[in-house]
Amino acid sequence: MNSLSLAWKLARRELRGGLKGFRIFFLCLLLGTAAIAGVESLSDAFLSGLRDSGQTFLGGDVAVTVVHRPATQQERSFFARYGRLSNNISMQSMAYALRDGKQDERELVEVKAVNDTWPLFGSPGLTPAQPLADILHCEDDGICGAAAEQTLLDRLHAKRGDLLRLGNASLRVIAVLNSEPDRISTGFSLGPHILISTKALAGTGLEQPGSLINYTYRVAFTPNAEKRGATIESFKADAAQAFPDAGWQIRDRNDAAPGIRRFVEQVSMFLTLVGLTALGVGGVGASEAVSAFLDRKRFDIAILKSLGADGRLVFMTFFLQVMAIALAALTLGSAIGATAPFLLAHFYADSLPLPPALGIYPGPLLLAAGFGLLSAIAFSVPPLGKAREISPASLLRETLTPDRTRIRPVYLLAAGAAGLGIVGLMLILSPSPLYAGGFLVGAIVLLGLLRLVAAGLMWALLRLPRPRSPLVRLAVGDLTRPGAATQGVVTALGLGLTLLATIILLDRTIGAEVNESLPSRAPSFFFVDIQPDETAAFDHAIAAFKTQQDYKRTPMIRGRITSLNGVPSAQAKVDPDVKWALSGDRGITYATTPPPGSVITGGQWWPANYDGTTLISLDQEVAKGTGLKIGDSMSLNVLGRQIDGRIANLRKVDFRSGGQNFILVLSPGLIDKAPHSFLATVRVAPAEENAMYMAVTEKFPNVSAVRVKDAIAQVNSLLQQLAQGIRAASLVTILAGLLVLAGTIAAGARTRLYDATVLKVVGATRVQIALIYVLEYGLLGITTGIIALGAGTLAASLIARQILDTSFVFDAQAALWTVVGGGTATLLFGLFGAIAALNARPAQRLRGS
Amino acid sequence: MQPPPPADKLPAIVLDQVALTLSSAAGPVNILHAVCLTVPAGQTVALTGPSGSGKSSLLMVAAGLERPSGGRIRVAGTDITNMGEDAAARFRRGRVGIVFQSFHLIPTMTALENVAVPLELNGVGDAWDRAAAELKAVGLADRGHHYPGQLSGGEQQRVALARAMGPRPQILFADEPTGNLDSTNGEAIADLLFGLNAERGATLFLVTHEENLARRCQRVVRLESGHIVADEIASLAHA
Repeated sequence: MNSLSLAWKLARRELRGGLKGFRIFFLCLLLGTAAIAGVESLSDAFLSGLRDSGQTFLGGDVAVTVVHRPATQQERSFFARYGRLSNNISMQSMAYALRDGKQDERELVEVKAVNDTWPLFGSPGLTPAQPLADILHCEDDGICGAAAEQTLLDRLHAKRGDLLRLGNASLRVIAVLNSEPDRISTGFSLGPHILISTKALAGTGLEQPGSLINYTYRVAFTPNAEKRGATIESFKADAAQAFPDAGWQIRDRNDAAPGIRRFVEQVSMFLTLVGLTALGVGGVGASEAVSAFLDRKRFDIAILKSLGADGRLVFMTFFLQVMAIALAALTLGSAIGATAPFLLAHFYADSLPLPPALGIYPGPLLLAAGFGLLSAIAFSVPPLGKAREISPASLLRETLTPDRTRIRPVYLLAAGAAGLGIVGLMLILSPSPLYAGGFLVGAIVLLGLLRLVAAGLMWALLRLPRPRSPLVRLAVGDLTRPGAATQGVVTALGLGLTLLATIILLDRTIGAEVNESLPSRAPSFFFVDIQPDETAAFDHAIAAFKTQQDYKRTPMIRGRITSLNGVPSAQAKVDPDVKWALSGDRGITYATTPPPGSVITGGQWWPANYDGTTLISLDQEVAKGTGLKIGDSMSLNVLGRQIDGRIANLRKVDFRSGGQNFILVLSPGLIDKAPHSFLATVRVAPAEENAMYMAVTEKFPNVSAVRVKDAIAQVNSLLQQLAQGIRAASLVTILAGLLVLAGTIAAGARTRLYDATVLKVVGATRVQIALIYVLEYGLLGITTGIIALGAGTLAASLIARQILDTSFVFDAQAALWTVVGGGTATLLFGLFGAIAALNARPAQRLRGS
Repeated sequence: MQPPPPADKLPAIVLDQVALTLSSAAGPVNILHAVCLTVPAGQTVALTGPSGSGKSSLLMVAAGLERPSGGRIRVAGTDITNMGEDAAARFRRGRVGIVFQSFHLIPTMTALENVAVPLELNGVGDAWDRAAAELKAVGLADRGHHYPGQLSGGEQQRVALARAMGPRPQILFADEPTGNLDSTNGEAIADLLFGLNAERGATLFLVTHEENLARRCQRVVRLESGHIVADEIASLAHA
């Protein structure tokens, strides 16, 4: 019989005893695997839902968006060759409640004007459920129908049947707009939506040259076109050939909502990393559990060895047992994780941004099981390797001196390889390997640091003068004895608490930035789409307010960067951090003098009377990320026309100012001839804010007034939801830490019972014995809390300064919660675990011995 | 009415109709049946009998480590029958010392600290000096800073004896104190036990199945199946 089958035979006999001694090992692996399987299954379900409903979410097979101008007849003919066509026009504007023919309350809205073929896929949710054409129909008196979101009606105190004004036109609200099939692909909106017909929009007079308007054309390929070979790829290729300078943004059904996709991918990456941390925390517990189990099996191992079993057989026997239990935990954990999409869809159907495609996703389950298996190997092989090395004689000897057995390098290598496997797998699968790598390196460094701190604590306690009080002495003895809970608890609970502290402190830092710093320096209003013929009157209207300050009115036009030094933007090698600058339309302005507050960091500003070829002033960070230097060329597409320019200077743009920040400032000469509107920002005292809002919107109905504090509140609410989710998810690591704590407490139960019995025999009361545990676990918990707070503060401040580019805000309350929470949890678990020792009658234990 | 005798003249242990029944998976097990025993102060008593006769249980009950199912127990003049666990622990301080067959030292404490614990719990001011003196008395003056794991069985039992005798108890209970030791070490421990006891005048309640050890006591009580079957006063020559 070969040694493997013999080992398996022995392992099976051992396993007959059930999970006893392996409960914590099992639970730790189960928790980590279930967390990763759940997160990854959810991510796949969402992404799959996004792909399956790509046509509906996009509203077609392809969608072409042009800014500022409608498509030409030639362009429309091109679209129509591929199939059915729908178009919609979207823009921001002010909507006014009309009461007795007068404008009353007003609100910033997202206007979506659709033609009669919209939507090509799916249907809008309307109350009452009437055909859309009936709702948007224009009456003989020129009043057209509209469907508005309930939020808008609530804010305007209006109801169905009431009249609203949009630009120059009056509209009647016929229905409440509950949902739009392609809403998800349109992204973030500053105001509630109102749906009207393109005919109604024409009557508003809002479609002005240079106004910030998006024209979207959606095409549903017809079978005939598909027979002719029409595909997404052929559409894009033909479009690039036929209209190279059209400045279109083309999206397709395979990536209908790239923003949402990226969001799901990023959040799932972060949560998987949290899951891995839980697995790491659990791994510490698993390692402790295996050590404790092997410690109890010393006698069995000694017998096996004395009967002729070699070290390899001993290792294999226990390795197979550990792996059998690990496989059971991984299977059950994956099965639990697989239910996550179903549970979420069942309990949170209404609050999900998109419906998950329900199903069992084998990929995520295998991935989670893979992570679980690798972590089981990484954490269990070292203690197993240690047990292999112990001689039968030393196994039989009762010893309390530290075990200094060396583990063979092959076992350390195996454990290391499994650990590297986890890191490698995560890096390969991560959408942002840099951040994932940073997180894992941080977690590994922290793990090492925590072990070091725990060892340091034990070292220091051993070297302190022996306390005179027997109770303190016992508490210190419990913390420093070989196999004490100190290492496990400080490491496992410390890792979870550090993650929680980091998240809480970052949440506070971002909250302070959004709610305190940003409002203190950002303008009160952004006014968009001021027409050139209105500028003087607009300036005058603002000047009438006594408290107005920092008023800035700037020409603005949208355009996109199409090539860098002749290399098309899509092919240019750029830093991921500045990819956004090349990926869509950006605001562009022109100026004769540097924008106030900007700092020229390279090159020269053009002379005030310059009128030559286009010169560009570029943000220095974008220049750095794209590798552009002064003198390099850049092509822009504005209103379907190519503008070639040369970089004349670089500017430092402070995006944190929250005001007007243009990465591209052009010299006048060409750009100022294009139709454009103006953007204005102003700060005003809170007392005058409402008066300014009313005055401007009353006098300039075509100008959209964005109240910055409303926008901040909206961003804040989104951030809060995200932070809550992330905080809740990070609790998984705390749970894993508590499991480890429970495990170490359970492992020390026999020792604790013994000590308690002896102390009772020599006259100690239960209160005195409980005091030992209070001291022991209180010290452990508070130390862990303080370490976690220190590490969390360091991590949060690094992330705040290096990644978020904001100043770190330390929150004393969060700090207190981390320390007190960690201390209390440890103390309560410790005392709970000690109840048995406190209540046991000495005679029972003495009789047992 | 006569005044009560002073505490040191009271019987050290009075067991009156003491019964002990323990529950087990197979049903209740009657360990002790209406045991009556009075041990005068200063007497050395050996409790003998076959394995399972209830010797150790009787010691546990008498030492307040186990509450009896019936009867009454007075130790050093105090009725401990219905004492709660903590009250019994407080009662033992300074009055009762116990030595076990398995030594039962606290492994994370040095020999000196182990001996000091009951003195400290009893609020003795010079606990460490007294502990050191006790260790010296059992011949372990130079092993005070060793942990139990670093001591031999015989040495551990000496530490246990020093710990039991440290608070100068009125009664010393010893449960098979030589049971885990070889004959040489066993004899040495027995000599110490009887020597210290004689020197300090404590009552000794010794559970043993070793005839030689039992014969060194003034009185030998034999227990079988939870009943006292013999109670003999040995000749003073053996005391």
